[in-house]
Amino acid sequence: MTRITLAGITRSYLRQAAPALAHVSLAVAPGTLLALLGASGSGKSTLLKLVAGVEAPDHGDIAFDGQSVLPVPAHRRRAVLVFQNAYLFPFLSVAENIAFGLRMQGASRATMQAEVRRMLDLVELPGIERARPAQLSGGEQQRVALARALAIRPRVLLLDEPFSSLDPAVRHTLQEAVRRIQRECGITTLLVTHDRGEALAMADRVALLDRGTLLAHDTPQRLFARPPTRRAAHLMGVTTCLRGALADGQLHTSLGVLAVCATGMAAGPAMYAIRPEHMRLAHAPEPNALPVRVLAETFRGEQYEYLLQAGDETIRVHACQPSAAPTYVVLPAEYLFPVCDDAAAPPTRSV
Amino acid sequence: MPDTIDTYVRRAAALLVRVILGAVLLGPILALMLYASSTHWFFPHLVPDAWTFAPLLRQLGDPRTRAALGTSLLTAGITTSSALLLGLPAARVLGLRTFRGRSLALLVLFLPNIVPPLAIGMGLNVLLLRLGLAGSVTGVVLVHLVPVLPYTILALLGVFARHDEGYELQARTLGASPRQVWLHVALPLLWPGLAVAALFAFLVSWSQYVLTLLVGGGRVITLPILLFAAVSGGNPTSIAGLALLFAAPPAVAIALAVRALAAGRLSARGVP
Repeated sequence: MTRITLAGITRSYLRQAAPALAHVSLAVAPGTLLALLGASGSGKSTLLKLVAGVEAPDHGDIAFDGQSVLPVPAHRRRAVLVFQNAYLFPFLSVAENIAFGLRMQGASRATMQAEVRRMLDLVELPGIERARPAQLSGGEQQRVALARALAIRPRVLLLDEPFSSLDPAVRHTLQEAVRRIQRECGITTLLVTHDRGEALAMADRVALLDRGTLLAHDTPQRLFARPPTRRAAHLMGVTTCLRGALADGQLHTSLGVLAVCATGMAAGPAMYAIRPEHMRLAHAPEPNALPVRVLAETFRGEQYEYLLQAGDETIRVHACQPSAAPTYVVLPAEYLFPVCDDAAAPPTRSV
Repeated sequence: MPDTIDTYVRRAAALLVRVILGAVLLGPILALMLYASSTHWFFPHLVPDAWTFAPLLRQLGDPRTRAALGTSLLTAGITTSSALLLGLPAARVLGLRTFRGRSLALLVLFLPNIVPPLAIGMGLNVLLLRLGLAGSVTGVVLVHLVPVLPYTILALLGVFARHDEGYELQARTLGASPRQVWLHVALPLLWPGLAVAALFAFLVSWSQYVLTLLVGGGRVITLPILLFAAVSGGNPTSIAGLALLFAAPPAVAIALAVRALAAGRLSARGVP
């Protein structure tokens, strides 16, 4: 099992003003799965390429088990990339694809055969050794790509949106398979994704990347419940952030006064956020309620989504039950949490 | 759908086009074959009145013909390999990267094919004379590269435009050294396109006359040189024999390239 340490990684590209990655420091514990969550262009795929060694950082260091791997070329680093496109070599059979890495190392025929069989059992596709990649479905191709990656017993597995081209049902079973295999093999894994649900469901830890900077890094549960900054909250699906002045456990906003949990907070300007499913619709004034006007109502299956206008703010609320013409929205004090305002410019694309 | 007059007319037209095309393509070759295997064939006879393979066999046995065939194969072979060796890196960069001055680089590469070959040949002849390469196979290969290289790069550009570098990246992280990536991944993926580029290079070099004559200075005798000499001699039988010999290797090369292309299409089918 390998510990990955990234220290102050910066990477810029020619003809791009902003760096793709700026001072990213991160540690991945041995045998765990870290999800890198971010919108396209957030630098998450770049980070994977740097760890794989197919690109080099401008500044900073990448270490496996405390030893810098920057002088090690990609083909000796034993950090395997698995892409969205499975990149199975079309001129080789499934067995030859899986044995590719071993053949490059000069492994014996018997070793390769045994390893191919073991790997196909692991990805639950036994007996397809002689098939050609073109004969497989998208999900099967990804399983074979995974088997091929694991066959060389890599120190680090790097998954670059490996599920995003699959249909939802296949994606789901493959996510479970990858998680099971990752745990069984105890292989340190970095998963790049723009799918919040995928990151939360699969990862031991989630790192949020936005425009080349690391916003937050925590367990899925903590990051979901209490994203520390406004941009992190946005990536976690929180759209309601209220700015105001904090005094005596109350947030004085332009919309009204809200009771909040202010332990450990200094009085003065502050920003509080709340998840859309934690707000409640009401028809009469009550504590921590703001008067609203309904702009739109959308049925989303598991929930109803209401777009509300409160003063000059729009608030998005998820409700389990439909509500006929609500006039108030309740923001329970226990669900309001403080966030740092790090959004110089609001993110252009939500995830 | 029932057959209407319209479809019959269309089918007849299609058949007519195919017959005409066949006649245009095969007619001259058939005529050459008839000429090559006859001693007397004069108007108004529809087919030769005497058949013999003796002149053709004699010609094939002629040391001059054999030497010319050898020189032609040698020159075209070396030219093709050199063009591929030089063209591959150039086409890879031009096909996969966008950079400032890319159009200029392309223009410079294709410039030799805009100027008439005679003008290039004269100039290069002076240069090669000074270098002591005029009249040698090396000199002829060098001068053949001038028209061959642009065609090779043009053919390879298309190959690399469809090439996904992801396969090579994938192979590298799987532990393949740069040499292994090239040998075990890039080459098998690029092979059909390389065959076509090689075919272009071979055909362009094989059919060079003016440049070979200028730089070869009568000492490097390729098949086209021999053929032109025979044409001015005016013996239809030997012209036909040489012409057939001249046409055979390109025909074989085209057949091989078509097979390579078909194989490439087969193995690439259905891959995302």
